[in-house]
Amino acid sequence: MWENRCKVAISGVGYSKATRSADIPLAAHALEAVRGAVADSGLRMEDIDGLATYPELPATGHAEVDGISVVSVNCMMAMLKLPNLTWHIQVGTTNIGGAVQQATNALLAGVCKYAVVWRAMHNPSGTYQNLPGNMAAGATQFTGPFGFGGPGQGMAVAYTRWLEKNNQTRDKMATLAVTQRKHTQHNPHAYFYGTPLTREDYFASRMVAYPFCLFDCDIPVQGAVAVVLTLADRARDLKPAPAYLAGYGQRLHFETAGRIGSLSSYMEGGSSSAKLTWERSGFTPKDVDVAQIYDGFSASVIYGLESYGFCKEGEALDFIQDGRIELDGDLPLNTFGGSLGTGRIHGLWHIIEGALQASGRAGSRQVKDVNVSFVGASAPIVTGTTFIFVREPY
Amino acid sequence: MSDWSKVTRPIPVPNEWTRPFWAAAKRNALELQRCQSCGHFQHPPFATCTQCISIDLKFEPVRGVGTIYAYTIMYHTGDKRFASAVPYASIVVELDDAPGALMAGNLLGAEYTEAKVGRRVEVVFEPLNDDITLPQWRLANV
Ligand SMILES: [Zn+2]
Repeated sequence: MWENRCKVAISGVGYSKATRSADIPLAAHALEAVRGAVADSGLRMEDIDGLATYPELPATGHAEVDGISVVSVNCMMAMLKLPNLTWHIQVGTTNIGGAVQQATNALLAGVCKYAVVWRAMHNPSGTYQNLPGNMAAGATQFTGPFGFGGPGQGMAVAYTRWLEKNNQTRDKMATLAVTQRKHTQHNPHAYFYGTPLTREDYFASRMVAYPFCLFDCDIPVQGAVAVVLTLADRARDLKPAPAYLAGYGQRLHFETAGRIGSLSSYMEGGSSSAKLTWERSGFTPKDVDVAQIYDGFSASVIYGLESYGFCKEGEALDFIQDGRIELDGDLPLNTFGGSLGTGRIHGLWHIIEGALQASGRAGSRQVKDVNVSFVGASAPIVTGTTFIFVREPY
Repeated sequence: MSDWSKVTRPIPVPNEWTRPFWAAAKRNALELQRCQSCGHFQHPPFATCTQCISIDLKFEPVRGVGTIYAYTIMYHTGDKRFASAVPYASIVVELDDAPGALMAGNLLGAEYTEAKVGRRVEVVFEPLNDDITLPQWRLANV
């Protein structure tokens, strides 16, 4: 087990309003989320001495303007002018989960006391994957000429592989979309709060990139979320109940750029990250009371459930049936609605929900008697990270 | 059948790793990067052998026959260059001669509904301009 097991905790969490269009600069969303997280902890802004984020804009063909389409650490530093700042970082090889892990490491190293991690996501006007131009350079020279334009198609090819290799049907995915949308109705911060989804809606929706229909894809939004991390001893003195970090992992497999469709790459990415997390935390999939698994595209949940070890390969779409992922099921899943419910804010939302469920703060969507709360914070293949939060720090 | 006639395909920009691949395609030949130490074929090209880390890599001819490893049918028209062809099948092919080397392409000369995992395909060459020819795919009985 990890010698630093349960020595760091997530304390406060914060959100901005998630909107479809970018009416106000992204920096304002990030600021709202960060202020919310700090206030939720009962801290003052001048207590914050660590900053971390992953600022990437996953949309293609749009300018990255700091404060408008991304919110970098530099941007946040300039806005907050924190008098006691001692540490900051932006991560690259992992998505936002890596920023949470780096903040954890910084706290354990004693180089800051209260770290804030935020994820701010811009929704550019016009087509999200704006692919102009008539040249395909770099890795896209082997995909772009054939109409592989965005990450959706890259994810879709692995999904057809999975479906047809395992003799499965995409109809079963309706259960995930509908159940998550049901969970969304307990999350007032979610974009689709107040908008239910039926199985009929799912089957009637337009196809985007087969096997993905509209409701298999998270909707691009403008918004931000944030968390405060601190050492467990300090977290106990703050306002909210701490969510103790029992262990984490990151994917150790790398797929060469431009090689798409490999199902085994998803599995190796996810299993390598989960293995570290199980070993460090001392838990196994059977111990998990509630799980958040990244769902930017629905099929990510399949790769997550299988590669993390919740079910066998080829069985994920059967595993999610019969009420298992409901709030009172055997494995309540994406209880905040997932990215399919909140809109595209990447995996920090999954981490927030993992922490809220562990600390008993999830309100009307709180799963009963949670101790072990699992998070897979991004697609296992590219930038996968995994976490376990617990209520009881032993 | 998908109408490709009005599609403007982005044109590959060869670099030092990929130039031999495109030079071969221009001659209507398929050549993939192969490790001279362990014999492993890989695609897309990479700096080292992804099996044994050797840097002794050369392009060698492979037969243009294989199976559809995976596919997607594109319906979204966000990419204006391809909007006129939707729905169309983008496929990933695993060659008989190079297991694990996955090549993206389109299924040509067949309904997009014919794309299925495991179907046999063979290469056809589609010239884009004087310099670049794309390896593409059609259903095969081989
Ligand atoms: Zn080798």
